[in-house]
Amino acid sequence: MDRITLRDYRCFHGEQSARLAPLTLLVGENSTGKTSFMAMIRALWDIAYREVVPDFKEEPYDLGSFDEIVHHRGARGGRADTFQAGFHAALDNESNHGFSFDVTFERRGTTPVPSRRHVKSDGKSITLTSAGDAVDMVVATSKRSWRRRLEIGAASSTDSFRLMPVSILISLFHHLRTAGANDRPGGDRAASRRMPKEDFDAIQEFLYDTELSQYGRPLIPPFASAPVRSKPRRTYDPARPARDPEGDYVPMYLADVYLQNKRAWSRLKERLEDFGRGAGLFDEISIKPLGSRQSDPFHVQVRKFAPGGRLKGPHRNLIDVGYGVSQVLPVITELLRTDAPSTFLLQQPEVHLHPSAQAALGSLFCEVAGAKDRLLVVETHSDHLLNRIRMDVRDGVGPLQPEDVSILYFERGALEVSIHSLRLDQEGNVLGAPPSYGHFFMAETERSLRF
Amino acid sequence: MCAIVDANVVHEVFGPEQPTAGRKFRNWIEQGSLRLVAGGKVLEELDAYGPFRTWRAIAMQTGKIRIVARERMDARMRKLQDSGSCTSDDEHVISLAQLSGARLLYSNDVALRDDFKKKVLLDRPRGKVYSTRTSPAFGSSHRRLLADSNLCRVP
Repeated sequence: MDRITLRDYRCFHGEQSARLAPLTLLVGENSTGKTSFMAMIRALWDIAYREVVPDFKEEPYDLGSFDEIVHHRGARGGRADTFQAGFHAALDNESNHGFSFDVTFERRGTTPVPSRRHVKSDGKSITLTSAGDAVDMVVATSKRSWRRRLEIGAASSTDSFRLMPVSILISLFHHLRTAGANDRPGGDRAASRRMPKEDFDAIQEFLYDTELSQYGRPLIPPFASAPVRSKPRRTYDPARPARDPEGDYVPMYLADVYLQNKRAWSRLKERLEDFGRGAGLFDEISIKPLGSRQSDPFHVQVRKFAPGGRLKGPHRNLIDVGYGVSQVLPVITELLRTDAPSTFLLQQPEVHLHPSAQAALGSLFCEVAGAKDRLLVVETHSDHLLNRIRMDVRDGVGPLQPEDVSILYFERGALEVSIHSLRLDQEGNVLGAPPSYGHFFMAETERSLRF
Repeated sequence: MCAIVDANVVHEVFGPEQPTAGRKFRNWIEQGSLRLVAGGKVLEELDAYGPFRTWRAIAMQTGKIRIVARERMDARMRKLQDSGSCTSDDEHVISLAQLSGARLLYSNDVALRDDFKKKVLLDRPRGKVYSTRTSPAFGSSHRRLLADSNLCRVP
C-alpha cells in the first residue's frame, strides 16, 4: 500500500488522502484519529487479501458499532449513511503502475459491512456492488465493459458471500449463464454475450498482479500491537506462542525458539541484544528453564554489562528490571523474528522508554523498514524517535531513503480532522508541514528562550 | 513561502529585545506559512547567535526551517564570486536564494539589498527585502511582504 483514502470515517469528513511509505509515522494530538487510521489499514487488508468482513472490534482496536464508526458532525451535520476507504498500491517495483482498491461500507444491523468493492488500474476495473440479494458486477478492460447481476438469494446473502473472493466472482461472471446468474435487467447488449476468453484472461492476469487473486497474496496478516503491552511475569509456563496485540505470547515464543532451534535463537538473541545495547536497556537476554523437560516453566532474564563489557552484572528476571524492557520486548521481537509479517501497525511503541531508548527504537525502525516490501506504520508521540529517524535518513545510516519515510500529521479542525502528508529530504528537512505542526514545541522553546 | 534572515538582523528576529517588525517576522514563521531557509556560510553566521541555534534545533524538527546542503551552497558561492556579478560580499546569501527559491530577505545591509533586487541574480519572482533600517515598526510594507505568497520559487 502506498496511499490510503478515507471518506466520512470516524473523525474524517470528506475525502482524506495519506501517503504511505515503508516507514510511516502517525503524529498529532490525542483523539485525532491515528488509531482509527491504523484500524482501517487492517480492515482494508482483511477485505482485499483475506476477503473477510472486517471486525472493527477486533483487538487492539475497538471502534464500536456503525454509528460510532461513520462520521458524525453533531446534531446539525447529522450522520453519514455510508463511509468509504481505499488504498493504492504499486503493481510492481519496476514501474510507476499501480492499482486502487476502494470499499464502501454500509450499515447492516449495528455493524459496518462492505457494500461495494472497486478495483481499478490502467484500463481495467472491477466493481462489485451488493444490491439486496444480488451482486452487480461490472468488469471493464481497455476494449470493452461487461455487466451482470448475480442473484444469490436471501438464504445465501450472508456477509461471507458479500466478500466472496473477487477472482471467484469473476470466474462465475465468465462461466455462469444459468442457475442463478442472470443478466442485469435492462442491461446493455454486452451483458447477453459471454465474456471472451481474451478479456477473461486479461482480468485474471490483472488480479494476479494485484495479489487479489488466490495466488501470490501476502500470507501473514499485519501485526497490530496494543499501546500497552502485557505485564511481565516472574515465571512463564510454555504455551503455544500465537500472536496477540499485547505481546503476551512473546516470552513463550522466545522460549520456543530457544528450545527448538538453537541457531535461530542465537541469531534472534544477537539482534535483540544489539537493540538492547543501543537503547541502554540490557546487554544480554536469556531463557532460564526451571526443569529438564520442555514443558517445564522458565524465566526470561536480562543483564547489563559495565562499560567495556568486562564486568557483567547479575541475571535479572524481566519483572525485576525497568518496565520499559518488558514493554518494548514484544515490539522488537515481532520486528526481528524471521517470520515477521510485511505490515506492522504499532501504537506508541515508545511507552515507558527513556528518550535514548526511544531514539534507538527509531533506528531499529529505519533498519526494519529498509527490508523489501515492508510497511511499518507507527503511531507515536515521541519527538526523540521521530528525530532519530530524520537524522538516520539524512546521514544515510541504513538503507532508508528520504522518500521511504512518510510523516502523517493529523490536524484537528473545528469538527473534523485533516491528514497532512509530510516528507523528508536529503538534508533531513521536514517538508510540507502546515503552520500548526509542532506548534506546541515551538511555543515551549519560545518560553524557554524568553522571547 | 520561504525567507532568508541576514546575520546582521538575526538578533531582531531571535533576540530578547526585538523590534515589532522582527517579532512579527518570527511569528509569521512559527504560526504562519513563512519558512526560513539557511545553509552553508549563512547558517554558520546565524548559528553564531546562541538563541538562534536553540530555536533552530526545534525548528528543524517542526519543518519551520529548511537547510540547503553546504556543498551545494559552497559550489554556487564560488561560481558567483568568479562571475563577479555581486556588488556586495554576500554571495553566500544570493547563493542561498538561488538554490532554495527564497525571494524574501530580512536585512538592513544596503549593498546586499541592491544585489538581492538585481534581475540578473534573482528572477521569477524578483527578490524583495524586509528591512527595519528606516523604522523598527511593523508597517504596511512589512505586512504586504509577509502576506505575499508568491515570494518563493519552490512551493
